[in-house]
Amino acid sequence: MSALRLGDVAFRVLVCAIILFLVLPVVVTMVVSFNAGGFVLPPTGFSLKWYEIAWSSNEFISGIQVSLILGVSASLLANIVAFMLVLSIYRYNARAKQALTLLAMSPLLVPMTILGLSMYIFLAQLGLAGGKSALLMGHVVLTLPFAFRILTASFQNYDGTLDEAAANVGASPVRTLFSITLPIIKTGLIASFVLCFIISWNDFALSVFLAPSDWTPLPIQLYSYIKFQYDAAGAALVSTLVLVSAVAIVLLDRLIGLQAAIGGSKG
Amino acid sequence: MFTLPVTRGRLAFALSVPALTLLLAFVVAPLIWIVRVSFYEPIAGAYMRPAWVLDNYVQFLGSVWHLQNVLIFTIEVAVLTTILTALLAYPLAMYMARVEGWAKRVLMTVMLAPLLIGLVSLSYGWIVIFRGGGVLNATAQALGLIDAPIQYMYNMRGVIILLVYIGVPYMTLTLLDAIERINPSLVEAAKICRASPWVAFVKITLPLSTPGLYAGCCVVFALNFSAFAVPLMVGAPNTPMIGLMAYRQAMEINNFPFAGSIAIIMTVASAVILIGFSGVMNKLFFTRIGKAV
Repeated sequence: MSALRLGDVAFRVLVCAIILFLVLPVVVTMVVSFNAGGFVLPPTGFSLKWYEIAWSSNEFISGIQVSLILGVSASLLANIVAFMLVLSIYRYNARAKQALTLLAMSPLLVPMTILGLSMYIFLAQLGLAGGKSALLMGHVVLTLPFAFRILTASFQNYDGTLDEAAANVGASPVRTLFSITLPIIKTGLIASFVLCFIISWNDFALSVFLAPSDWTPLPIQLYSYIKFQYDAAGAALVSTLVLVSAVAIVLLDRLIGLQAAIGGSKG
Repeated sequence: MFTLPVTRGRLAFALSVPALTLLLAFVVAPLIWIVRVSFYEPIAGAYMRPAWVLDNYVQFLGSVWHLQNVLIFTIEVAVLTTILTALLAYPLAMYMARVEGWAKRVLMTVMLAPLLIGLVSLSYGWIVIFRGGGVLNATAQALGLIDAPIQYMYNMRGVIILLVYIGVPYMTLTLLDAIERINPSLVEAAKICRASPWVAFVKITLPLSTPGLYAGCCVVFALNFSAFAVPLMVGAPNTPMIGLMAYRQAMEINNFPFAGSIAIIMTVASAVILIGFSGVMNKLFFTRIGKAV
């Protein structure tokens, strides 16, 4: 019996160690960002100086601006396009549904290295590489599968007879869209927008191929900062980024459940 | 689910046009183009010339250095990190399968959060911990435990730590799914027959969760084999991983044909390995499970 207990205790300790491994980098970064002594732990005192440095840095502020503009416009576009595609497949019975679904999910099926590389080489051929529009289109394509998946799920719980009823009492398709369809799938749309935004906001792998040198999103700025300078201001900035992600995580969890939102995505 | 009984062909098509255009222009066309470019003739200093030559493939496949130090090396790294990931993910998935309520919700959030936090932030955390002058070294030096900082980042150690770190959530979620499908009365029955938890694990949970293990290993292997962002961020500048090599050829050396051929070789190698793996798994496990259940 005691051998059994011991085994169970060992198992729990092992599990705790693995969980610690998973949360450690985020926790340490947070602690360092508030630590007056920077990287020397245990913490010597509470300080906001790293945040002051980070938030007054021109590079970071411009990075935040770029990432905001990029994230909002990419997720808006991705959601509009994905919404139209979902309408086409599930409301209007488009042909070749499976092919359309496969195509919509294709950016997730191709390894990021191949996707970024081929996009860059192709856009370079067209003379578009290194432009803002290339980066924007890349982010739209990157986030599209996520929007498509969430909106598909919303539509699968959607009672289409409501649309028919609206049509029967004389509502135009546009009126039906705004008075019936959109209000009903509102939650899915908001969740989809949040998810697409946060994926674009944090993206490194695609941006590193497509970002113009004079219009770099925050993760790329942060990457070059870490490479060349090394102080705890980076930790303050990462903590800020993590905070934004945390808000998105809470929102997604409340809206449609975290697992439904990102089950099976790739980083 | 309800769809309108009448197929409104034209409207349906019109609504799918924006998505179709985007995906064809920015995913499908680039993928076709990169195959074509891999047969182009690169010109040193200039750009490249349209041609149908195999030089770029020969440059990689015909060189022992490339095969051993890049291809085989990357396979080794991917296999090692996949095994380490599975070793860490298994106990976690076993534990998650048996907890309920808030503990499960917290663990689920811990698993899913890294997917949303983003690679740079996560890498930064490890860099803070491991870099010379980072938390671990600075603290150890302050305490007088070590004289000189130990370098964990910007070499293969860092790459392996980070690949495993990123892989664990994927693997755990896939394993959890498989473990939760196992009929709990089987483990119960083993307990009644006085099997120790270890025996119950080896005889029941482990074999019945192999489909999940297999799926998780395939995903993690494929991701790690083609990884370029992780070695770029925490590896040495000349880390010879195949994905990073393709990235450098395209972005730094501007040799698009060679980058293209490396990408194709990478894709084919990954597919061949995964198909081989599925054959081995079929022979070893799945037929036996099929008989047992």
